[in-house]
Amino acid sequence: MTITNDQEFKARLGELSAVQQRQVAARFLHRVFSLSNDVRVKAALDMAMRPDISDAELSVVSQAANTARVESYTQCGKETDWATQAGHFVAKAAASCVRPTTEGQNLAWDTAMQVRVARTCGVASGDVTDYREAEAQYAILEDFLSK
Amino acid sequence: MSASLEKGVRVLKEMIDAPMASYFSSCVHCGLCAEACLFYTETGDPKYTPIHKLEPLRRIYEQEYTVLGRLKKLIGLSKAVTDAELDEWRELVYNSCTLCGRCSVVCPVGNDIVYMVRKFREGMSASGNAPIGLKGATNRTVTIGSPMGIKLPAVKAQMKHVEADYGLPIPLDVEGAEYLVMLSSMEIINFPEYLGAIAKIMHQAGKTWTLCSTSFEATNAGMQIGNSDLARVIVSRIVEGAEKLKVKTVISPECGHAYTALRWEGPNLVGRSFSFKVRHIIEVLGEFQEQGLLKTEGFETDRLTFHDPCQLARRGGVIQQQRNLMNMVAKNFVEMPDAGFMNWCCGGGGGASAIEEGEELRLEAFKKKKAQLETVKPDRLVTACANCRIVMEEGLEHYRMDIPIVGLTEMLAEHIPDPTSAAVPAKSKGD
Amino acid sequence: MSEMQFLTWVRGPGLDLAIGIFLLGVFWRLFEIYSLGRKKDLSESRQVAGASGMNTVFRRSLPVPGMLKTSPITYVGGYIFHIGLAVIVFLFAPHIKFIQSLLGLSWPGLPSQLVDLMTVVTLAAMLVVLADRINKPVKRYLSRFEDWFTWALTFMPLLSGWMAVHHLLLPYTTMLALHILTVELLLIFLPFTKLFHAFTVFGSRWYNGTVNGHKGVAV
Repeated sequence: MTITNDQEFKARLGELSAVQQRQVAARFLHRVFSLSNDVRVKAALDMAMRPDISDAELSVVSQAANTARVESYTQCGKETDWATQAGHFVAKAAASCVRPTTEGQNLAWDTAMQVRVARTCGVASGDVTDYREAEAQYAILEDFLSK
Repeated sequence: MSASLEKGVRVLKEMIDAPMASYFSSCVHCGLCAEACLFYTETGDPKYTPIHKLEPLRRIYEQEYTVLGRLKKLIGLSKAVTDAELDEWRELVYNSCTLCGRCSVVCPVGNDIVYMVRKFREGMSASGNAPIGLKGATNRTVTIGSPMGIKLPAVKAQMKHVEADYGLPIPLDVEGAEYLVMLSSMEIINFPEYLGAIAKIMHQAGKTWTLCSTSFEATNAGMQIGNSDLARVIVSRIVEGAEKLKVKTVISPECGHAYTALRWEGPNLVGRSFSFKVRHIIEVLGEFQEQGLLKTEGFETDRLTFHDPCQLARRGGVIQQQRNLMNMVAKNFVEMPDAGFMNWCCGGGGGASAIEEGEELRLEAFKKKKAQLETVKPDRLVTACANCRIVMEEGLEHYRMDIPIVGLTEMLAEHIPDPTSAAVPAKSKGD
Repeated sequence: MSEMQFLTWVRGPGLDLAIGIFLLGVFWRLFEIYSLGRKKDLSESRQVAGASGMNTVFRRSLPVPGMLKTSPITYVGGYIFHIGLAVIVFLFAPHIKFIQSLLGLSWPGLPSQLVDLMTVVTLAAMLVVLADRINKPVKRYLSRFEDWFTWALTFMPLLSGWMAVHHLLLPYTTMLALHILTVELLLIFLPFTKLFHAFTVFGSRWYNGTVNGHKGVAV
């Protein structure tokens, strides 16, 4: 079984339980974690990895991750620093990853998307010429499903 | 008098026209404009009364354009405007004014106060009294060509990302396309999903569109700081791009001031009428909806409310379209008090959000939006301006209110059937 | 100068002088303001019913929804004293007679008891708005000498006229002369103070309505 496109990727992610989704999402997030140096993001990542996390714990880290996301916005008129901006999307990915789940939401997919945008920031600044984050994400999911 | 002050006063003298003379002659100091200004209502400080923000300009008008004022100046009854005074007024003209225009619609004698603040900023900027944050944006526009320092590779990176995510091509420099889509700096940096939404919408409507490699950013720091020369440079770039690509319509992004700068100030800045039309994305979506070109599936079922960006609604005349669009995809759409024409500003328009030293005041002013939201208690807040969105997210975060904010264009696009797998219906959120 | 001489002066040379300054002042101020002109708006206009200068000239006479609640004294007090002033100036029989003597025009007036009642109400409204100006931080903050002075300029003719009719405090002739004198002061200062809004209010509303009407916004 190989995943080759986003439709399939999204569908597969959608079939997972919330806990499983969070664990896959944490793996996606882990790949770009180095782009952020926010302790709140680190806390979110650590929590998301744990299968036994409670709703109360989730809501605490999710609020912190959301604060990290909002605080790292580039405001209108301010100079853009793409490295900081990558950190913003990592925080956004983290916030998606640990948000308390609502039925019908695909948090793993949302996290995957934000992770890709974080990577794009590297391209925008000229630091990275190309990225194939999608393939890496497919591989992570395949690996997770085969366990 | 310092050289910069002299320049500032000269610019201000040039700004004064018959409407301003009429406005200054009509003010009876009734103070009603204060009640319309969120910086006054939320702080209770009378110095934030809108007409008071123009006091130095009023004196220049009186001293230069009225016989009695000249006489008063001659015998020393009326003191000249000083650098220190303009320095003191910076907070009033920039930090505590978002050019929202509420004062202009309540004044009983009909004074268009925001019209005057916009012009006052020209003199403030010429005399070197603009806020540092906005000056930085100005310098970047001159040196890099973008107020926020965004270069083409950044846009191309976002385009590539969106193409991969949405499976739709993002056209660049396509001559003869019907629409030239402009982005706000905010959308390039913070909300790349806007571009994906446009791609989906245009694809469904069967319209040709393009981005332009020489002008992709519509955010106009020149207008916000009050530097018409700079505002003209930014607008000219868009005009050149639109004319080079021979497009019929330029679409202004979900950014209020970009719309005002391009749609209303643009032709006046470059000194001629445009050969193309300028429309806000919400106007274009409204037209598509009317013509049956916008077909959505499914509904949002959670409680939604809409924040009208000032420059779109009260200052731009686009009020009904966003409501029709909301109703197209939302089952539970509720209006905040004063919504529409009289809506309250997010607190960060007109360049105010770029002023670091104004943050505390901005959060204070946000209490107005907070109160509006507390009245309707929405699950999510929808808007059509990337700047409003960020300012409000910060405000909500500060006051620990858990209300996610979404852009209207993106929300609509989520209800457009996926072009690559036409059978999958859009999922509804928040059940 | 005797009472009669005083009255004769204010009715003769005094009045001529006041009306002269008033007329010249009004014309000069209007010229000074409106000759400045404005630039043509080159942007493509959006036509919307109700969005025009003329619409705003009328519409702005009513408070924007929600505003009446925030500033009831300003609105209600303002309405009463503006309407009161207009009724007293133009519908009091002796005033109509006076205008007839100047212009030859005449129209029916209101019963004097009614005008008397309106005068009392108008005086009261003016005292209330004065108190509001002193009490309200915003109004007090905005107020300069001119604001107090023009209030007095408007209040004095009203008070002196009412006292003359009721033969209070001073002999009728003196009070009447004082009444005319205060009216003359009002006329002289009107073009050069904020009282000139009586004329520019129309221009201001029209400009506001036109500039915003161009954008399709009915302000």
